[in-house]
Amino acid sequence: MKIAEAIARLPTIEVEEWRYTDLSGLAKREFVAAGPAKPSLPTLDGLERVAFVGGALAPTVAPPTSGPGALPQKGNLSQNYDSVIELNAAFAQTGLALDLPANTTRTPLHLVTWFGGTPEGHAHLRHRIRLARGASASIVLHELGDDAPFFATQVIEVELAENATLRLDRIQRFGARTTALTRIDVRVARDARFDSVGLYAGGALARNDLNVALEGPGAQVSLEGVLAPAPGEHLDVHTRIEHRAPHGTSREAFRCLVPAKARAIFNGMVMVREGAQKTDSEQHVDSLLLAPGAEVNAKPELLILADDVRCAHGATCGQLDEDALYYLRTRGLDLPAARALLLRTFAQEILNHIALEPARLLALATLEPRL
Amino acid sequence: MLEITNLHAKVDGKEILKGVTLTVKPGEVHAVMGPNGSGKSTLAHLLAGRAGYEVTKGSVTYRGQDLLALAPEARATVGMFLGFQYPVEIPGVSSMYFLKAAMNAQRKQRGEPEIDAMDFLAWVRDRLAKVKMDIAMLHRGVNEGFSGGEKKRNEILQMLVLQPSLMVLDETDSGLDIDALKIVSEGINAMRDPGRSILLVTHYQRLLDYVKPDQVHVLARGRIVKSGGPELARELEEKGYGWLEAAA
Repeated sequence: MKIAEAIARLPTIEVEEWRYTDLSGLAKREFVAAGPAKPSLPTLDGLERVAFVGGALAPTVAPPTSGPGALPQKGNLSQNYDSVIELNAAFAQTGLALDLPANTTRTPLHLVTWFGGTPEGHAHLRHRIRLARGASASIVLHELGDDAPFFATQVIEVELAENATLRLDRIQRFGARTTALTRIDVRVARDARFDSVGLYAGGALARNDLNVALEGPGAQVSLEGVLAPAPGEHLDVHTRIEHRAPHGTSREAFRCLVPAKARAIFNGMVMVREGAQKTDSEQHVDSLLLAPGAEVNAKPELLILADDVRCAHGATCGQLDEDALYYLRTRGLDLPAARALLLRTFAQEILNHIALEPARLLALATLEPRL
Repeated sequence: MLEITNLHAKVDGKEILKGVTLTVKPGEVHAVMGPNGSGKSTLAHLLAGRAGYEVTKGSVTYRGQDLLALAPEARATVGMFLGFQYPVEIPGVSSMYFLKAAMNAQRKQRGEPEIDAMDFLAWVRDRLAKVKMDIAMLHRGVNEGFSGGEKKRNEILQMLVLQPSLMVLDETDSGLDIDALKIVSEGINAMRDPGRSILLVTHYQRLLDYVKPDQVHVLARGRIVKSGGPELARELEEKGYGWLEAAA
């Protein structure tokens, strides 16, 4: 299959889940396979780094013993198989393949994926993370790139066996001319837990799908994030949490800071299947529009097929509090500093939940130019 | 010296101040009293630089500078401080961080270096004791969940920390019990010195038992209708504002 053929099969805005994110521009471009690049890659103290550059394992990094660099098997998790996964499966050559044996843990991983270098390049990664019963791991997914016009996809398949816990925090800051589609599918077994806090801070167009299936009783998920596009950027986060078993817990909290000419989209679908009794689900999305011409589309969706559940959701959208700005200014902070302080606080209430301190500090530093 | 000369101002097209003239010299404490709706709070916010007021005539200068031409933060830098009647809650921004950011912003504007963290902590601790506040309160969000009295004491704390030279205190005494009023008054009295000017905007005479003003002005229907010594405040307490409003 050629890349143009795969692109032609991507969803159009006629598909409900894609109505705000228009990929039709991709079909008008001619992409070439990304060539090698040698960007300087960041490190985080205390984390083991695994880096992929332009769809290939970065040669400067020795593959850790747990097996990244191996091509993950295709087609294992195809329940939500669609044209994005298809494209990714056709072109991804490598990715992280992490298998943790039962009741083990490992050094936290800093998974760096860098896209760029080749103008009109395209590159793809496919990762697979499997935690056996009682295992636990922490991964910081750090998505980066340069200013080359670029098209990237990533698919991450996660399987958490009984009582396993995975934390996948994210710092996403692609280049200003990158179009990136990232798809994360997570299956959570009985009493297992998946947590993710993400800073989504850039890319010409960055679409993120987080699909989590709570498959066993007592499974838990927490998805949080801050969407902070630069002017002109388009950030889209679609979450889909499916409660398939009783006593599941899901928590979602997203915040959007949207400047002029930028767009943030959050769509949160929570499905409670028949029999998923005692489900406890909460979802909040709060948005700040920072200038005229900023746009946000925030939509919580609930589909409940069980009758003994607790599901709450709320969405707010507003502007910075003028009284608070005035109060800060009367104390000597100038307008940009007062605005930045309020915005930083708004975002920090989410980003402070990033568990590892070096990652948390990096997220805050990455956010700073957006304030 | 603060000089307000023939100040006229509109809010939403309605004239609220209709020619206020007032001079507060260094070292002086003046009280502006008046009934509700007389324009007291408008005057206070106009001095601090709140948006939404239209000055149609007159001027305000402080130490010879045109105060009305300055942004709120620039007024703070030249020494202005407004104690809010209704202090704003800013959830999530710790008071300690806020105080330090404010202090360093003002120092930066004046070309001074940032304050050393330990010096700052000692400076704040000393002033916390003066307003009988616990340091734990400063680890909470600015005014977040504070009672009315706690918010007013927090205003006084900010004033003591920032050391302004021109203070406009807008009904800082309203809603306080006697103990809290004493604490607030002691804070204000601690700031009295020959280089500083204080304008107390108040509805009640009670504050003036604890902070002795040099002059008392009565603001009614947008004008100062009477000025006098501290005895004027007592007279108002006995007679109310009706006799002066009728005269205005």
